[in-house]
Amino acid sequence: MPAADLALLLMALAMLALRGAGMLVAGALRPEHPFILWATAVSQAVLAVFVTLAVLAPSGAVATVPLPARLAGLLAGLLAYAVLRGRLLPALGAGLLALAGVRALLGG
Amino acid sequence: MSRLAPSSPLAALRPGAATAFGAPAIAMGATFLAFGAAVREGGLGLPWALGAALLIYGMPGQLILLQFAGAGAAGGVAPAVLGAAAANARFLPMAVALTPWLGNRASRWLALPFIAITPWAAAMRALPGLPQPARLPWFLGFALVSWSIAGLATAVGHWLAPLLDPALMAALLFANPLYFALLLAAGLGQPASRRAVLAGVLAAPVALLLPPAWGLLAAGLLGGTAAFLLGLRHARR
Repeated sequence: MPAADLALLLMALAMLALRGAGMLVAGALRPEHPFILWATAVSQAVLAVFVTLAVLAPSGAVATVPLPARLAGLLAGLLAYAVLRGRLLPALGAGLLALAGVRALLGG
Repeated sequence: MSRLAPSSPLAALRPGAATAFGAPAIAMGATFLAFGAAVREGGLGLPWALGAALLIYGMPGQLILLQFAGAGAAGGVAPAVLGAAAANARFLPMAVALTPWLGNRASRWLALPFIAITPWAAAMRALPGLPQPARLPWFLGFALVSWSIAGLATAVGHWLAPLLDPALMAALLFANPLYFALLLAAGLGQPASRRAVLAGVLAAPVALLLPPAWGLLAAGLLGGTAAFLLGLRHARR
């Protein structure tokens, strides 16, 4: 088997193991159990770290977008989300439009 | 065409499925479209792209594995898999947090392959407000639509790769963190969520000091644990 396919197979099994281990551990616990509350806080914090890094210190293709454009995209999305009372789709569109607009203005 | 009876299993999936068609579909579709294009640029075929998208189903790990596989699979399989698995290690706490909301029946294991950021974040927002019998079907409905969109978008991205310019790829990839930022903003009204999000933002620089594969989880563990302990202290007052 080619190394790329073997790596994919092993990774798929590892992902099932991670998800399965979490389900097994949590199976007997209620949502308000301290361990569940801790895991929820860690998961939300991981997501916040992911977003922060994607905006302030991204890698890959997103790193080619200038920081002001990334910040404009985030702020426009959040502002639209607040103004439109929690409507996700238009807020997402507003954020992406702002990112593209500021990027075009900066010539980046 | 006859309408599904309200009590049929498929009808029970419908509310979650309907939620997934919207902002989640756009964010998911954009990101996986860019991933499909990146796989083709890495010289790998559509089966590999679909396998990575649907069986790993977690973008940071997918991208790390693609870096390895697209570079001629140099450097050894074990370090590549370990690094990619570490980048997706958040699935463990996410599965722990989600499972109690899915009920006690064995059928909750149907959710196993779908535990990923997008379904998790949407479910943690929706499930507490639903009656217990509706929670697992809601999650499965949402997850099946998201998973299908991920696969479809990956295939389209792989096919369209020669036509996508780098600026468009970057904007597509940014849709995902922006969507997550909006989901996090939606939870800021709850003190526990607010603490976790703020602690995560403050802990983010820690991720830059560590190898990329480990940084995300380490910073999240630090921020999340600090937020949890602050919450305990607050509750005791």
